[in-house]
Amino acid sequence: MAELLGAFEQAILLAVWNLAEDAYGRAVLRGAQSSLDRQVAAGAVYATLDRLEQKNLIASRLAKGTPARAGRVRRYYRLTATGIKALNQSKAALEQVWQGAKWPLESKA
Amino acid sequence: MIQPAPPRWLERMLLCCLPARDRETISGDLLEEYREEQLPRLGAMRANLWYLRQSISFLAVRSVQGPPMKAALTCVSVFTAAAGVWLALMEHILKHAGYGERTAIAACIAIQGLATLLLLLLDGRFVFRAVVLMGAVGVALLGASAIKRILGAPHFEGFVLLIGSALIVQGVLTLLFVLQTRPARTP
Repeated sequence: MAELLGAFEQAILLAVWNLAEDAYGRAVLRGAQSSLDRQVAAGAVYATLDRLEQKNLIASRLAKGTPARAGRVRRYYRLTATGIKALNQSKAALEQVWQGAKWPLESKA
Repeated sequence: MIQPAPPRWLERMLLCCLPARDRETISGDLLEEYREEQLPRLGAMRANLWYLRQSISFLAVRSVQGPPMKAALTCVSVFTAAAGVWLALMEHILKHAGYGERTAIAACIAIQGLATLLLLLLDGRFVFRAVVLMGAVGVALLGASAIKRILGAPHFEGFVLLIGSALIVQGVLTLLFVLQTRPARTP
């Protein structure tokens, strides 16, 4: 089994998955903030995207910029087959761990 | 029509913190977010603060990324730079005999710490790397001589031992860093 993903990595990968064709840096940042329900530093998101790309869980391509960004190019991301597999494995592992436990946990005292 | 943008120095600072591969894409993303979301919602001043915060987040990430040696060199350089500033200030305030010379040495320690941090952040070119390397050797020798002197002195001063050790570590790590990494290419 491949290395399990952390919650932050999963949030980034799911944002890329949900955004499909529109998954460029800014949109992923907003997607991750929305799913984690908190402000996230851009530096952390881009560093994670970079790491995930190095692990071959996502791939990227460059596309033309818009006037709102002074024509600077956009980098679009997509999940690779390895990325989809890693996400599925992480979800399955989490469910396995929680299997049989009544949620939410209550204090035994 | 001129579109609103963050102050130029802030944009330059951000670009310094980004790896070459992502300079255009990330700065474009942040500019887009600044113009379309932050500026209309927060106004110019708070939007600029937002932009500054994002730039610092890249600076923080860049400082700890890479091999553990780089993170260690960053930490020790921050320490020696701060120690140099502190020593220079104390010498200047107390004005003991020969304080001018010691203030200059402390200022050199601070400058060397800052130069090493710049080298780590900007992947300097050949000349800058050579200058930082020479400085690192100099402060390492200075640290060694300070430790030697303090061990033989009647009054033991712990802070001299601490700063001296940090200077030696900084010198060794800078030497390893410069030898293991390649200088940035001129565009």
